[in-house]
Amino acid sequence: MEKISVKNLKKNFGDLEVLKSISLDVHEGEVICIIGPSGSGKSTFLRCLNLLEEVTEGEVIVHGVNLTDKNIDINKVRENIGMVFQHFNLFPHLTVLENITLAPVELKKATKEEAKEAALKLLERVGLKDKAEVKPDQLSGGQKQRVAIARALAMKPDIMLFDEPTSALDPEMVGEVLAVMKQLAEEGMTMVIVTHEMGFAREVADRVIFMDGGYIVEQGTPEEIFGNPQNERTKDFLNKVL
Amino acid sequence: MNKRKIVSKLFISIFTLFTIISLVLPFSNAKAEEKTYIIATDVTFAPFEFQDENGDFVGIDMDLLKAIAEDQGFKYQVRPLGFNAAVQALEAKQVDAVIAGMSITDERKLKFDFSDPYFDSGVIMAVDEDNNKVSSYEDLKGERVAVKTGTEGAAFAQSIQDKYGFKVVTFDDSANMYEDVKTGNSIACFDDYPVLAYGVKQGNGLKIVTDKESGSSYGFAVAKGENAELLQMFNDGLSNLKASGEYQKILDKYLETGDEEADSGFFGLLKESFPSLMSGLKMTIILTVVSLVAATILGVIFGLFQVSNKKLLRAIATIYVDIFRGTPLLVQAFFIYFGIPAALDIRITAVVAGIITLSLNAGAYIAEIVRGGIQSVDKGQMEASRSLGLPYRKAMSKVVLPQAIRIMIPSFINQFVITLKDTSILSIIGINELTQSGKIIIARNLESFQMWLIVGIIYFIIIMILTKVSNHLERRIKHGEN
Repeated sequence: MEKISVKNLKKNFGDLEVLKSISLDVHEGEVICIIGPSGSGKSTFLRCLNLLEEVTEGEVIVHGVNLTDKNIDINKVRENIGMVFQHFNLFPHLTVLENITLAPVELKKATKEEAKEAALKLLERVGLKDKAEVKPDQLSGGQKQRVAIARALAMKPDIMLFDEPTSALDPEMVGEVLAVMKQLAEEGMTMVIVTHEMGFAREVADRVIFMDGGYIVEQGTPEEIFGNPQNERTKDFLNKVL
Repeated sequence: MNKRKIVSKLFISIFTLFTIISLVLPFSNAKAEEKTYIIATDVTFAPFEFQDENGDFVGIDMDLLKAIAEDQGFKYQVRPLGFNAAVQALEAKQVDAVIAGMSITDERKLKFDFSDPYFDSGVIMAVDEDNNKVSSYEDLKGERVAVKTGTEGAAFAQSIQDKYGFKVVTFDDSANMYEDVKTGNSIACFDDYPVLAYGVKQGNGLKIVTDKESGSSYGFAVAKGENAELLQMFNDGLSNLKASGEYQKILDKYLETGDEEADSGFFGLLKESFPSLMSGLKMTIILTVVSLVAATILGVIFGLFQVSNKKLLRAIATIYVDIFRGTPLLVQAFFIYFGIPAALDIRITAVVAGIITLSLNAGAYIAEIVRGGIQSVDKGQMEASRSLGLPYRKAMSKVVLPQAIRIMIPSFINQFVITLKDTSILSIIGINELTQSGKIIIARNLESFQMWLIVGIIYFIIIMILTKVSNHLERRIKHGEN
């Protein structure tokens, strides 16, 4: 069954039409990479999936819950959708451990002790157990992003959204973040990833979506998109970035 | 949804706040059995009313009032508001009567009922004691002449200014008017005879150069149609005192005594005025602390309104901030103390009105500080919090506000200092805070320069202490959490 089902999604910023009718189904355990030139609406689309952006028209259905319905509790839905941002957005006034335990404790998903134990396990998974007590400003970019992934995972989501997770990193730190994401994909997490890392997309994605001008222009397996693109704009884009 | 919950909670907080304020306000009905009459007076009108060295209000008006009250057996409380404030307070029915060396004029009779005249005044002119050029009205051509607002001297000067070709500048109290003549800004001043004569005796550095123009008489006033029984008691008491000779004794006490020499050196003044200044300082600090606590609550509420995504809340906050930033504090104080009580027929004390004014005023500025602080926190912080499923209020209180507060601290300290200094403006509605204490002392001893120096130094010391303590606190907060 579909984890996410998007039907005729439109999004305007004032007079500007950023998304012009997008439909997409994401299956359980599927890893989707969205590629495309900047300004194509990739990030806006991703942010509509947990309603960080209000939807102008159309439907976004997650776990059978229609997010455009005014009567739903969006906070409940978001608990099940983790999100990782380009600029990490760690909470600078809290330690790494507190960053991870804040939401589970505040939302009464776990006691302080349980949350701490779970957080240390997550930090071990992303290779940062020794950084539990430091503040985010003492971490490198790659370390920050791994903490941000651990923070999102602490709510035990079954969908993870990644918004250009490696774009703000120095090149030597990209690998460590992608490794964590790859491991997550192998464990069966449903993931939607906006990325410029074509190598990663080719290796990890079940399906690659090419967006341009507010539309999904082409989609298919990595072999189809990277090996034999059909649309001129896809070819054009891939020629520039590969 | 949760947002709705926050909104309703904020409204409940505001209602609670206003309920508390309204409970604290000593509202009272205009009529009550066995009442104590509230009688307003000037603070700076020696020899009719002024504070003596012990801080007690004395003078012809005060002594007469006391003797009449004893004779007639009524209770009263004197409220030294300053002349203009006293007159406005009577119009607004904030007080029951005014005795402030007030001339009985036809214009005032439209609004007030006057007693029988208790003193016949007149106008004289004075110049600097070293000035030998000016001795008549003809010598005033092209010059500036100082008067005190609302006095007979002012009316007289205005009536002859065109004829003799001089310009009139008005002051709110006699000491400032004398000072203006001493410094040479004005060539001469007109004032009521007993006042100017008392000033000259006190050594204000002026001399009287004209004969007394016969003028009107002073009366005790109540609001038109109100407190008729009080007026009757005043008249009865006055005629009893005149019959017994007590009346003449009181006049002689202030107009005939040779003045004793006071210690007017800086330290002598400081020592003499210290108790009054300290009680003024105490009031200044009470006003500051109470107002800042209320202003912080208001500021946080309206600051949060301003960053809300609800249009209505943003509009409410914007209107509040615009009104209180867009009008002078002085006007706000007058409006709240005189305007609202007159319109709603309620009574509030000057201190309560002062605290409300300062709280609302500083609250508007703090709302802007809170808004600025919240908006300077990266939007990604709110997004990251919300994406984890945290409701708006939790995201605000656990993630955004802790970061915003550190950004706000320097502006907060700045606002605290401004509010402390703004309390001095409240002297205008007669609150006996530090500046008003200074004014009152100067009304007695006429030592403007040294007294304002002392008052200034006291403000400076208090603000320095506040700044140092705040800086220390700021460092501790930054170190403690970073």
